[in-house]
Amino acid sequence: MPAKKPVKKAVPKKPVKKAVPKKPVKKAAPKKPVKKPAHQARRRGPRSAAQRVTGLLVMLPWIMQRQRVKISTMAKQFNLTEAELIEDLQMASVCGVPPYTPDALIDVYMDNGMVIAEVPLLFSRPLKLSTAELFAISVMAQTALQLPGANKKGPLSSALTKIAPLMPTGAETIKVELPRAKFVKELREAVATGERCDIEYFSPASQKRSKRIITARKVFEDAGRWYVAADDHQSGEDRIFRIDRIEQIKPIGIFDQLNEQDDQDQQWFSGKMSQVTLRVEPSARWIVESYPYISRVNKRIKNMDVVDITMSITSQDWLGRLLLRAGGGVKVVKPVEYQNLGKKAAKTVLDRYKKSGATS
Amino acid sequence: MKISQAERMLNLLALLVDRNRPLTLRAVRQELGKQYPNSDEAARAAFERDKAALREMGIPIETKTLGGDSAGEVTYWVNRSNYELSDLKLSDDERVALQLAVATVRLGAQHGEEALWKLGGEKVLRPTAVSVNIGFVDQNMSSITTAVMQRRTLNFDYKGEKRQVDPYGMLSRSGFWYLIGFDHLRKDQRVFRVDRIEGKVTAGQMRSFKTPVGFDVAAAVPTEKQMMAAGEGELTTATVLVDAPLAAGVRNEFGDAAIIRERADGSIEFAIPCANMSAFRLWLFAMVESAEVLAPASVRRQVIQWLEELAVGK
Repeated sequence: MPAKKPVKKAVPKKPVKKAVPKKPVKKAAPKKPVKKPAHQARRRGPRSAAQRVTGLLVMLPWIMQRQRVKISTMAKQFNLTEAELIEDLQMASVCGVPPYTPDALIDVYMDNGMVIAEVPLLFSRPLKLSTAELFAISVMAQTALQLPGANKKGPLSSALTKIAPLMPTGAETIKVELPRAKFVKELREAVATGERCDIEYFSPASQKRSKRIITARKVFEDAGRWYVAADDHQSGEDRIFRIDRIEQIKPIGIFDQLNEQDDQDQQWFSGKMSQVTLRVEPSARWIVESYPYISRVNKRIKNMDVVDITMSITSQDWLGRLLLRAGGGVKVVKPVEYQNLGKKAAKTVLDRYKKSGATS
Repeated sequence: MKISQAERMLNLLALLVDRNRPLTLRAVRQELGKQYPNSDEAARAAFERDKAALREMGIPIETKTLGGDSAGEVTYWVNRSNYELSDLKLSDDERVALQLAVATVRLGAQHGEEALWKLGGEKVLRPTAVSVNIGFVDQNMSSITTAVMQRRTLNFDYKGEKRQVDPYGMLSRSGFWYLIGFDHLRKDQRVFRVDRIEGKVTAGQMRSFKTPVGFDVAAAVPTEKQMMAAGEGELTTATVLVDAPLAAGVRNEFGDAAIIRERADGSIEFAIPCANMSAFRLWLFAMVESAEVLAPASVRRQVIQWLEELAVGK
């Protein structure tokens, strides 16, 4: 595995004809620096004794089960540097029970780049799962089971059944609901194969449909909606599309190289945001409840309790729609150039009613 | 010999697990020799620190105060069966399936990976084709989930009031976590947004309430559609024409039963609940000019009136 060589999301505009479908051509041609994978990017101060022991109690049973694992692989697995891992394992290898003779010590050592633990004497079984761990693993499994195309009677569901007896009562009342959208399954497959697709996409900003050719790179759900991050061959840019606005999709038999960049820390919606401050009246208080904001200030103006919230927005269309939905209960404080967006949106809709009223 | 606290803690734990019988601090010090300081006072303090840290990690160190000749002396031990995770006998396929689930679903905390390691699995280091992001960054989240799972009553501030809530369950929907429970202040079942809880939550005793039979979390949190139908208005449905690009989404949301007529251009007329007019407006205007109320006339008039007021900037 090319662990240290991050494959750049290499603007793959040159299609690779699919001769041998399972082996996409790999071509590492990084042009701009790629951020480090998450497990290397994490920066910390010195680790406390408790952190080191907690880590060992997880790592020791894990390595004893496997007996031999590469130091580099194991360090990556546990988000440690190799030096930290070696330090911890060396410490563990001199621990044990009195009289601390070789047969009474934790049997772990390193040789030739490998961690070796062949005699499971002490700490061969992991600590029970904590409530937080049980919650996390069951929510994650339950959520993954809801993904379009998931096998509801497959190994994931039988694994959940085996974990179930460990769960405290009440755990079954914690549920995750995923939104439904057409084409999630198709796009997921396109990501896996690198196959380009023709899509028909509706853009609310322009109120128009357009045809595009994309290479899907990642399908993801965020805050109740499905998105696909893709190379858009029209504009030559990386774009994010809302999957529920894709009306047609057709794979076209051209395959691009797969994207192997580690994206664990990727922030999908960063950039391109602007900040607005809105004054929210009691009638529109749901806005404060519904959208993430950066800051809020409660005020009393003309005998009314209002809230000024500052939030990040991605587009003026979105803000116009919000102002329309709020029906006069929200005013833009700043920037001033946005103050008419609600009015504009209302006029656009009104035009439609006037037009149809004239004909019907 | 200088010994680190980490090393001493590991040795202490190994001893308490391996000896499998209660040990007094005196016995522990005899066994561990110079790892603890010479003075009784310093040794006691160091031991207490180690014990607290081990317990903090979830290690069940049990204690008993002796009577008779050794009256007042305390013994310590770890019961292996309370400490060790039993073997769940997961198959390779099951383990791989869990690994993929953990790689796919983001919870914002590392607990999923830890659970995976303990279950003998490995964190997937490759990118996955799909990912799901479930907000989990709230400071109170782990106290609340624990309280739900252990049925502990919660106390917290919400909308400026002190609430005491028996947490029946939690739901993640559209990017938010909801807590549903019996609110002692309102004497009724209520829904709370977890991220709107003010300050820190505190939890009471385990098993302090019973969840009602047949309680259903998903049903307890009203959907937008249900909100629109749950009003006082006389008129209960409106005919709404939705343009083709958005029609599929509305159809998805309200089902085929709501379709009145499909037009040749792909737009669809729907029968949409509007008993709660403000919820209806929220829904309708999210589509801006891609949707239009056709009937009844009174609802159409109301919509136009809203628009006119806004357009002049009332």
